Amino acid sequence: MTGLPLVVDHVTKRYGDRTVVDDLSFTVAPGRVTGFLGPNGSGKSTTMKMLLGLAAADGGSTRVGDRSYVELDDPSATVGAALETNAFHPGRSGRDHLRILARATGVPERRVAESLATAGLADAADRRAGTYSLGMRQRLGLAAALLCDPPVLVLDEPGNGLDPQGVRELRDLLRERAAVGGTVFVSSHLLGEVELLVDDVVVIDRGRLVTSGPLAELRHETALVRSPDAPRLAEALREAGASVEPAGPDLGGSALFVRGSSLEVIGHLAFGLGVEVSELSARAGSLEDLFMGWTRHGNESVPIAEERVVV
Amino acid sequence: MDPMRRSIRAELLKLTTTRMPWAFLLVLLVMGGLNAATVAFGTDMDGSKAFLSTAADQQSLIAFAVNATMIAGLFGAIAAAREYAHLTVIPTFLTDPQRRRAVVAQLVAIALGGAVLGAAGAAITTLAVAAALPTTEYAFLVSALDIARVVGASAFAGAAGAVLGAGIGIVVRNVGGAVTGAVLVLIVAPPMLVQMINSTASWIPASLALDLSGVEAEVAAPAAAAALLLWALVPALLGAIAVRHRDVA
Repeated sequence: MTGLPLVVDHVTKRYGDRTVVDDLSFTVAPGRVTGFLGPNGSGKSTTMKMLLGLAAADGGSTRVGDRSYVELDDPSATVGAALETNAFHPGRSGRDHLRILARATGVPERRVAESLATAGLADAADRRAGTYSLGMRQRLGLAAALLCDPPVLVLDEPGNGLDPQGVRELRDLLRERAAVGGTVFVSSHLLGEVELLVDDVVVIDRGRLVTSGPLAELRHETALVRSPDAPRLAEALREAGASVEPAGPDLGGSALFVRGSSLEVIGHLAFGLGVEVSELSARAGSLEDLFMGWTRHGNESVPIAEERVVV
Repeated sequence: MDPMRRSIRAELLKLTTTRMPWAFLLVLLVMGGLNAATVAFGTDMDGSKAFLSTAADQQSLIAFAVNATMIAGLFGAIAAAREYAHLTVIPTFLTDPQRRRAVVAQLVAIALGGAVLGAAGAAITTLAVAAALPTTEYAFLVSALDIARVVGASAFAGAAGAVLGAGIGIVVRNVGGAVTGAVLVLIVAPPMLVQMINSTASWIPASLALDLSGVEAEVAAPAAAAALLLWALVPALLGAIAVRHRDVA
């Protein structure tokens, strides 16, 4: 299986006066599982829809490999997607839903049964989709995405509503696809699950890129600094171009999270200022900690590049 | 198999894998039953059954094309609008992102569905009338050729009505709104148009359907077919234009 990179290149999307995706750029690499993270309303689903030709960008472009999704010779055989949990006619059985897709894509009908089995929905395949639980609808969406055995998967919140066994199966499946070279791009709010699943993350907030890259590297990108003169040190670090924010009450009022600056530079700066530092360490927090830091301000959050934190 | 044929086959399967066709078949059976009741129990003002006395009278009774236009119009409106209401348009456009082709495939499948409905309606009505006539003093007088014309006209009118309704459904995207729109265009608006411009009386869908069935002869059949097709293609074209750049969901 040879996956293709997914490229989002300076994409902007507006609905009226509201900019929901703002000059967003990132690349999703094949052979890896990439998590797409962001608060509610941050533009994840809209970005995925633009990537798949369901919504038109007002600026920039999206590509699957070197072409837009619409230009692909055989889009279904290239990209399997599950975007909405309710994209089924409630009166139609899961099997018939897939038979329709099989006809439209030209894959043999035996793939219907195989996909249903892979997604764990074989027993309920002949029930009407309107009777399915959220988890079963997720499984049907996954079966549809896998129908043509595509090298690229784009899944919007695929773990929502799945039971623990389903989450485990989904994780194993996606990891297997990436391990054999497939491209897997998954949005999710289940950070604990994402942490176990992904190799890379793309984090957006208010439609703008906050950070992206291998999760293992990003985990060590943040430094924890503890100093009795934290405000002064924070100001100096900001002037040096770093992003600084309070570490929160759990770590005490004198602790700072610093991004965009190495431990050496922070230590050197503190020494130059004559500021006492009682702790200076790489912060390898959980994804949830990192996510909260990246999007710390909730609805008022702004991308890190523009953050100005007063300590 | 080329993508268009694949899409049409998929769209046909969509139409036959829900209960909707059975609901419309039930409507056709009820209408057939009403026609049979009319034959069995209906009378003219003088108490006679003279309305059944000639082949032309009976052909008028079995001419289903007007009903076919309206019933298939509702069928098309529901079939197209529910794609958006149930978000099944997402897998449709993911499978075939060439939206114009996807919409044409949908319209072709819905037209075929409308044609089947129209033909089935005419066949059921003909059978119902024929079955009820022995309760009267009249035999079934309509020739095989005229029955074929009635069935053919109903199939054509059904196809046209379905495409008209589907075009409205694609534009409106809401099942209730699409049904309302189809009723407005097929039932409410034509008489109002005739009131405003008297000369349009021969060119409204109902009149054209009667011409096609051979019950009236105000417009020649080829012209009537072309005019009915035009009624269908205008909303279909609007739908195809609307869907081209529209964001989905």
